[in-house]
Amino acid sequence: MTSLVDVTALTYRRNHRTILTGVDLHLAANRIVGLLGANGAGKTTLMRLLSGLAVNFKGHIAIAGATTATARKGQVAYSNALAETAPHQPVTALVDFWATCYPDFDANRFAALAGELALPLDQRLEALSKGTRMKLQVALTLAREVAVYLLDEPFDGIDSMTRKSILASIITWKPAKATILISDHHVTDIAPLLDEVIVIKDQHLIAHEATERIRAIHHQSIETYYEQFYEGGHEND
Amino acid sequence: MEFDDKVPIYYQIEEYIRQQIISGQLAAGAQVPAVRQLALDLTVNVNTIQRALSHLVQTGVLVSKRGLGNFVTTDAHVLAALRTAAIQAPLAQLYDRLAALNLTADEMRAALETYIAQREKESE
Repeated sequence: MTSLVDVTALTYRRNHRTILTGVDLHLAANRIVGLLGANGAGKTTLMRLLSGLAVNFKGHIAIAGATTATARKGQVAYSNALAETAPHQPVTALVDFWATCYPDFDANRFAALAGELALPLDQRLEALSKGTRMKLQVALTLAREVAVYLLDEPFDGIDSMTRKSILASIITWKPAKATILISDHHVTDIAPLLDEVIVIKDQHLIAHEATERIRAIHHQSIETYYEQFYEGGHEND
Repeated sequence: MEFDDKVPIYYQIEEYIRQQIISGQLAAGAQVPAVRQLALDLTVNVNTIQRALSHLVQTGVLVSKRGLGNFVTTDAHVLAALRTAAIQAPLAQLYDRLAALNLTADEMRAALETYIAQREKESE
Protein backbone atom coordinates (compact mmCIF):
# COMPACT_ATOMS: atom_id res chain seq x y z
CA MET A 1 0.00 0.00 0.00
CA THR A 2 1.31 3.42 -0.91
CA SER A 3 0.55 6.00 1.74
CA LEU A 4 0.81 9.76 1.59
CA VAL A 5 3.46 9.66 4.31
CA ASP A 6 5.84 6.69 4.29
CA VAL A 7 8.52 6.47 6.93
CA THR A 8 10.50 3.26 7.32
CA ALA A 9 13.21 2.37 9.86
CA LEU A 10 13.97 6.01 10.56
CA THR A 11 16.82 6.64 12.98
CA TYR A 12 18.25 10.05 13.71
CA ARG A 13 21.27 10.97 15.78
CA ARG A 14 22.57 14.42 16.48
CA ASN A 15 25.62 15.45 18.52
CA HIS A 16 26.23 11.80 19.49
CA ARG A 17 22.73 11.57 20.93
CA THR A 18 19.98 9.35 19.50
CA ILE A 19 16.76 11.32 19.09
CA LEU A 20 14.62 8.84 17.13
CA THR A 21 15.11 5.10 16.68
CA GLY A 22 13.47 2.70 14.23
CA VAL A 23 10.42 4.81 13.46
CA ASP A 24 7.89 3.33 11.03
CA LEU A 25 4.97 5.56 10.14
CA HIS A 26 2.42 5.34 7.34
CA LEU A 27 -0.31 7.95 6.98
CA ALA A 28 -3.10 7.99 4.42
CA ALA A 29 -4.43 11.12 2.71
CA ASN A 30 -7.23 13.19 4.27
CA ARG A 31 -6.41 12.59 7.93
CA ILE A 32 -5.93 14.80 10.96
CA VAL A 33 -3.39 13.06 13.17
CA GLY A 34 -2.31 13.93 16.70
CA LEU A 35 1.40 13.52 17.41
CA LEU A 36 1.58 13.00 21.17
CA GLY A 37 4.50 12.76 23.54
CA ALA A 38 6.20 14.51 26.42
CA ASN A 39 8.55 17.43 25.80
CA GLY A 40 11.81 16.11 24.44
CA ALA A 41 10.30 12.83 23.21
CA GLY A 42 11.18 13.67 19.60
CA LYS A 43 7.99 15.23 18.20
CA THR A 44 9.66 18.34 16.78
CA THR A 45 12.56 16.29 15.42
CA LEU A 46 10.13 14.02 13.56
CA MET A 47 8.47 17.09 12.03
CA ARG A 48 11.85 18.57 11.04
CA LEU A 49 12.77 15.28 9.39
CA LEU A 50 9.47 14.97 7.50
CA SER A 51 9.68 18.57 6.28
CA GLY A 52 13.24 18.15 5.00
CA LEU A 53 14.80 20.58 7.50
CA ALA A 54 16.71 17.88 9.34
CA VAL A 55 18.90 15.68 7.16
CA ASN A 56 21.53 12.93 7.54
CA PHE A 57 19.12 10.37 8.95
CA LYS A 58 19.10 6.61 8.48
CA GLY A 59 16.07 4.96 6.91
CA HIS A 60 13.52 6.10 4.38
CA ILE A 61 11.13 9.05 4.22
CA ALA A 62 8.69 9.62 1.33
CA ILE A 63 5.92 12.20 1.20
CA ALA A 64 3.56 11.97 -1.77
CA GLY A 65 6.39 10.11 -3.49
CA ALA A 66 8.99 12.80 -2.77
CA THR A 67 12.06 11.32 -1.11
CA THR A 68 14.79 13.97 -1.23
CA ALA A 69 14.76 16.74 1.38
CA THR A 70 14.37 19.39 -1.33
CA ALA A 71 11.45 17.62 -3.00
CA ARG A 72 9.74 17.07 0.37
CA LYS A 73 9.88 20.80 1.14
CA GLY A 74 7.49 21.29 -1.76
CA GLN A 75 5.01 18.76 -0.35
CA VAL A 76 5.12 19.74 3.32
CA ALA A 77 4.19 22.95 5.12
CA TYR A 78 5.77 23.17 8.56
CA SER A 79 4.74 25.75 11.16
CA ASN A 80 8.19 27.17 11.90
CA ALA A 81 7.72 30.57 10.22
CA LEU A 82 8.79 32.47 13.32
CA ALA A 83 11.82 30.31 14.09
CA GLU A 84 14.44 32.52 12.46
CA THR A 85 13.04 35.99 11.95
CA ALA A 86 14.15 39.47 12.89
CA PRO A 87 11.89 40.52 15.79
CA HIS A 88 11.68 44.17 14.72
CA GLN A 89 10.15 43.23 11.35
CA PRO A 90 6.46 43.88 10.72
CA VAL A 91 4.21 40.88 10.15
CA THR A 92 3.82 41.84 6.47
CA ALA A 93 7.58 41.47 5.89
CA LEU A 94 7.43 37.89 7.16
CA VAL A 95 4.41 37.20 4.95
CA ASP A 96 6.28 38.55 1.90
CA PHE A 97 9.33 36.47 2.79
CA TRP A 98 7.20 33.32 3.17
CA ALA A 99 5.50 34.01 -0.18
CA THR A 100 8.92 34.33 -1.85
CA CYS A 101 10.19 31.08 -0.31
CA TYR A 102 7.20 28.98 -1.31
CA PRO A 103 5.65 29.17 -4.80
CA ASP A 104 2.63 27.24 -3.44
CA PHE A 105 1.87 30.07 -0.97
CA ASP A 106 -1.61 31.37 -1.84
CA ALA A 107 -1.99 35.07 -0.96
CA ASN A 108 -5.79 34.81 -1.12
CA ARG A 109 -5.86 31.91 1.31
CA PHE A 110 -3.58 33.87 3.63
CA ALA A 111 -5.74 37.01 3.42
CA ALA A 112 -8.85 35.00 4.35
CA LEU A 113 -7.06 33.22 7.20
CA ALA A 114 -5.61 36.50 8.49
CA GLY A 115 -9.11 37.97 8.51
CA GLU A 116 -10.64 35.00 10.34
CA LEU A 117 -7.86 34.96 12.91
CA ALA A 118 -7.84 38.78 13.24
CA LEU A 119 -4.08 39.02 12.67
CA PRO A 120 -2.58 42.51 13.18
CA LEU A 121 -0.54 42.65 9.96
CA ASP A 122 1.04 46.08 10.60
CA GLN A 123 2.50 45.17 14.00
CA ARG A 124 6.11 44.20 14.63
CA LEU A 125 6.71 40.51 15.32
CA GLU A 126 8.21 41.25 18.74
CA ALA A 127 4.97 42.99 19.80
CA LEU A 128 2.79 39.93 19.21
CA SER A 129 1.37 37.93 22.12
CA LYS A 130 2.07 34.20 22.27
CA GLY A 131 -1.44 33.40 21.03
CA THR A 132 -1.14 35.80 18.10
CA ARG A 133 2.26 34.33 17.18
CA MET A 134 0.66 30.87 17.09
CA LYS A 135 -2.20 32.13 14.94
CA LEU A 136 0.25 33.77 12.53
CA GLN A 137 2.28 30.57 12.17
CA VAL A 138 -0.87 28.52 11.59
CA ALA A 139 -2.11 31.03 8.98
CA LEU A 140 1.23 31.04 7.11
CA THR A 141 1.34 27.24 7.18
CA LEU A 142 -2.24 26.66 6.03
CA ALA A 143 -1.90 29.34 3.33
CA ARG A 144 0.39 26.99 1.43
CA GLU A 145 -1.26 24.40 -0.81
CA VAL A 146 0.53 21.16 -0.09
CA ALA A 147 -0.11 17.48 0.65
CA VAL A 148 1.00 17.47 4.28
CA TYR A 149 0.78 20.12 7.02
CA LEU A 150 2.82 19.90 10.21
CA LEU A 151 1.61 22.04 13.12
CA ASP A 152 4.10 21.97 15.97
CA GLU A 153 2.36 22.52 19.34
CA PRO A 154 -0.09 25.14 18.01
CA PHE A 155 -2.13 24.96 21.23
CA ASP A 156 0.75 25.29 23.67
CA GLY A 157 0.13 27.97 26.27
CA ILE A 158 -2.74 29.78 24.55
CA ASP A 159 -6.17 30.81 25.83
CA SER A 160 -9.36 28.97 24.88
CA MET A 161 -10.63 31.65 22.49
CA THR A 162 -7.39 31.48 20.49
CA ARG A 163 -7.56 27.69 20.55
CA LYS A 164 -11.10 27.78 19.16
CA SER A 165 -10.17 30.10 16.32
CA ILE A 166 -7.16 27.96 15.38
CA LEU A 167 -9.34 24.82 15.43
CA ALA A 168 -11.88 26.57 13.18
CA SER A 169 -9.12 27.55 10.73
CA ILE A 170 -7.88 23.97 10.56
CA ILE A 171 -11.39 22.67 9.84
CA THR A 172 -12.07 25.38 7.26
CA TRP A 173 -8.78 25.38 5.39
CA LYS A 174 -7.56 21.78 5.33
CA PRO A 175 -7.61 20.81 1.63
CA ALA A 176 -9.80 17.71 1.22
CA LYS A 177 -6.96 15.33 0.36
CA ALA A 178 -4.33 16.81 2.66
CA THR A 179 -3.18 15.23 5.90
CA ILE A 180 -2.40 17.35 8.95
CA LEU A 181 -0.09 16.25 11.73
CA ILE A 182 -0.58 18.24 14.97
CA SER A 183 1.79 17.78 17.88
CA ASP A 184 0.46 18.30 21.37
CA HIS A 185 1.22 17.18 24.88
CA HIS A 186 -2.32 17.72 26.16
CA VAL A 187 -4.71 15.93 23.82
CA THR A 188 -8.07 16.53 25.51
CA ASP A 189 -8.87 19.86 23.88
CA ILE A 190 -8.33 18.63 20.35
CA ALA A 191 -9.38 14.96 20.64
CA PRO A 192 -12.69 15.40 18.70
CA LEU A 193 -10.69 16.83 15.79
CA LEU A 194 -8.36 13.86 15.39
CA ASP A 195 -8.76 10.82 13.13
CA GLU A 196 -5.68 9.11 14.52
CA VAL A 197 -3.09 9.50 17.24
CA ILE A 198 0.59 8.61 17.29
CA VAL A 199 2.50 8.35 20.57
CA ILE A 200 6.24 8.97 20.77
CA LYS A 201 8.18 8.06 23.89
CA ASP A 202 11.90 7.68 24.53
CA GLN A 203 12.90 8.01 20.84
CA HIS A 204 10.39 5.37 19.72
CA LEU A 205 7.03 5.56 18.02
CA ILE A 206 5.16 3.31 20.44
CA ALA A 207 1.53 3.58 19.32
CA HIS A 208 -0.55 4.50 16.29
CA GLU A 209 -4.33 4.09 16.53
CA ALA A 210 -7.57 5.49 15.11
CA THR A 211 -9.31 7.67 17.70
CA GLU A 212 -12.77 6.20 17.09
CA ARG A 213 -11.27 2.72 17.56
CA ILE A 214 -9.84 3.78 20.91
CA ARG A 215 -13.31 4.89 21.98
CA ALA A 216 -15.22 1.97 20.44
CA ILE A 217 -12.89 -0.96 21.19
CA HIS A 218 -10.96 0.17 24.25
CA HIS A 219 -13.83 2.28 25.68
CA GLN A 220 -11.22 4.83 26.62
CA SER A 221 -10.89 8.54 26.20
CA ILE A 222 -7.98 9.57 24.01
CA GLU A 223 -6.39 11.20 27.04
CA THR A 224 -6.53 7.99 29.10
CA TYR A 225 -5.19 5.99 26.17
CA TYR A 226 -2.27 8.40 25.82
CA GLU A 227 -1.55 8.68 29.53
CA GLN A 228 -1.23 4.92 30.02
CA PHE A 229 1.97 5.01 27.98
CA TYR A 230 3.43 7.56 30.31
CA GLU A 231 2.18 6.21 33.62
CA GLY A 232 3.63 2.75 33.06
CA GLY A 233 0.09 1.36 32.98
CA HIS A 234 -0.70 -1.86 31.14
CA GLU A 235 -1.03 -1.67 27.41
CA ASN A 236 -4.18 -2.75 25.66
CA ASP A 237 -3.81 -4.74 22.46
CA MET B 1 -22.37 20.23 22.32
CA GLU B 2 -20.17 18.41 24.86
CA PHE B 3 -18.86 15.02 23.82
CA ASP B 4 -18.25 11.99 25.99
CA ASP B 5 -14.70 11.17 24.91
CA LYS B 6 -15.16 7.46 25.74
CA VAL B 7 -17.88 6.99 23.12
CA PRO B 8 -17.22 7.22 19.37
CA ILE B 9 -17.86 10.80 18.28
CA TYR B 10 -19.64 9.80 15.06
CA TYR B 11 -22.17 7.89 17.15
CA GLN B 12 -22.78 10.90 19.40
CA ILE B 13 -23.33 13.10 16.35
CA GLU B 14 -25.84 10.59 14.96
CA GLU B 15 -27.66 10.68 18.31
CA TYR B 16 -27.57 14.48 18.32
CA ILE B 17 -29.17 14.68 14.87
CA ARG B 18 -31.74 11.99 15.68
CA GLN B 19 -32.71 13.93 18.81
CA GLN B 20 -33.04 17.15 16.83
CA ILE B 21 -35.40 15.37 14.45
CA ILE B 22 -37.48 13.78 17.21
CA SER B 23 -37.76 17.05 19.12
CA GLY B 24 -38.80 18.87 15.94
CA GLN B 25 -35.80 21.21 15.76
CA LEU B 26 -35.07 19.55 12.43
CA ALA B 27 -38.46 19.13 10.74
CA ALA B 28 -39.36 16.39 8.26
CA GLY B 29 -37.92 17.36 4.88
CA ALA B 30 -35.67 20.05 6.38
CA GLN B 31 -32.13 20.50 5.12
CA VAL B 32 -29.32 19.43 7.45
CA PRO B 33 -26.46 21.96 7.73
CA ALA B 34 -23.52 21.32 5.39
CA VAL B 35 -20.78 18.93 6.52
CA ARG B 36 -18.16 21.64 7.01
CA GLN B 37 -20.63 23.87 8.87
CA LEU B 38 -21.47 21.02 11.25
CA ALA B 39 -17.75 20.35 11.69
CA LEU B 40 -17.21 23.99 12.63
CA ASP B 41 -20.28 24.17 14.90
CA LEU B 42 -19.24 21.02 16.80
CA THR B 43 -15.43 21.48 16.40
CA VAL B 44 -15.16 18.00 14.98
CA ASN B 45 -13.25 16.46 12.12
CA VAL B 46 -15.07 16.62 8.75
CA ASN B 47 -14.51 12.86 8.28
CA THR B 48 -16.35 12.16 11.53
CA ILE B 49 -19.36 14.28 10.47
CA GLN B 50 -19.32 12.55 7.09
CA ARG B 51 -19.35 9.14 8.75
CA ALA B 52 -22.30 10.06 11.00
CA LEU B 53 -24.32 11.52 8.11
CA SER B 54 -23.55 8.54 5.83
CA HIS B 55 -24.87 6.19 8.46
CA LEU B 56 -28.03 8.27 8.90
CA VAL B 57 -28.49 8.17 5.11
CA GLN B 58 -27.95 4.39 5.10
CA THR B 59 -30.59 3.91 7.77
CA GLY B 60 -33.04 6.13 5.88
CA VAL B 61 -33.23 8.90 8.49
CA LEU B 62 -31.64 11.36 6.07
CA VAL B 63 -31.97 11.51 2.30
CA SER B 64 -28.96 12.65 0.31
CA LYS B 65 -29.74 14.75 -2.76
CA ARG B 66 -26.81 15.02 -5.13
CA GLY B 67 -25.40 18.53 -5.19
CA LEU B 68 -27.99 19.81 -2.72
CA GLY B 69 -27.00 18.18 0.57
CA ASN B 70 -28.78 16.07 3.15
CA PHE B 71 -32.44 16.33 4.13
CA VAL B 72 -34.53 14.83 6.91
CA THR B 73 -36.72 12.06 5.52
CA THR B 74 -40.40 12.75 4.95
CA ASP B 75 -41.22 9.02 5.30
CA ALA B 76 -43.74 8.88 8.17
CA HIS B 77 -42.89 5.24 8.97
CA VAL B 78 -39.18 6.05 9.41
CA LEU B 79 -39.97 9.09 11.56
CA ALA B 80 -42.38 7.12 13.73
CA ALA B 81 -39.83 4.32 14.14
CA LEU B 82 -37.21 6.90 15.15
CA ARG B 83 -39.54 8.25 17.81
CA THR B 84 -40.46 4.80 19.10
CA ALA B 85 -36.81 3.77 19.33
CA ALA B 86 -35.93 6.94 21.24
CA ILE B 87 -38.75 6.38 23.74
CA GLN B 88 -37.86 2.72 24.20
CA ALA B 89 -34.51 3.23 25.94
CA PRO B 90 -35.67 5.44 28.86
CA LEU B 91 -38.84 3.33 29.21
CA ALA B 92 -36.85 0.12 29.46
CA GLN B 93 -34.66 1.67 32.12
CA LEU B 94 -37.66 2.92 34.10
CA TYR B 95 -39.42 -0.45 33.87
CA ASP B 96 -36.33 -2.37 35.01
CA ARG B 97 -35.84 -0.08 38.00
CA LEU B 98 -39.45 -0.23 39.09
CA ALA B 99 -39.55 -4.00 38.56
CA ALA B 100 -36.46 -4.27 40.74
CA LEU B 101 -38.50 -2.61 43.48
CA ASN B 102 -41.06 -5.41 43.09
CA LEU B 103 -43.81 -3.13 41.78
CA THR B 104 -46.67 -4.87 39.98
CA ALA B 105 -47.80 -3.72 36.55
CA ASP B 106 -50.82 -1.97 38.07
CA GLU B 107 -48.67 -0.21 40.67
CA MET B 108 -46.31 0.97 37.92
CA ARG B 109 -49.18 2.37 35.85
CA ALA B 110 -50.66 4.09 38.91
CA ALA B 111 -47.29 5.54 39.95
CA LEU B 112 -46.63 6.86 36.46
CA GLU B 113 -50.14 8.39 36.20
CA THR B 114 -49.74 10.08 39.59
CA TYR B 115 -46.30 11.39 38.69
CA ILE B 116 -47.47 12.82 35.34
CA ALA B 117 -50.43 14.52 37.05
CA GLN B 118 -48.06 16.00 39.64
CA ARG B 119 -45.69 17.39 36.99
CA GLU B 120 -48.58 18.84 34.99
CA LYS B 121 -49.86 20.59 38.12
CA GLU B 122 -46.36 21.99 38.85
CA SER B 123 -45.99 23.45 35.37
CA GLU B 124 -49.37 25.17 35.44
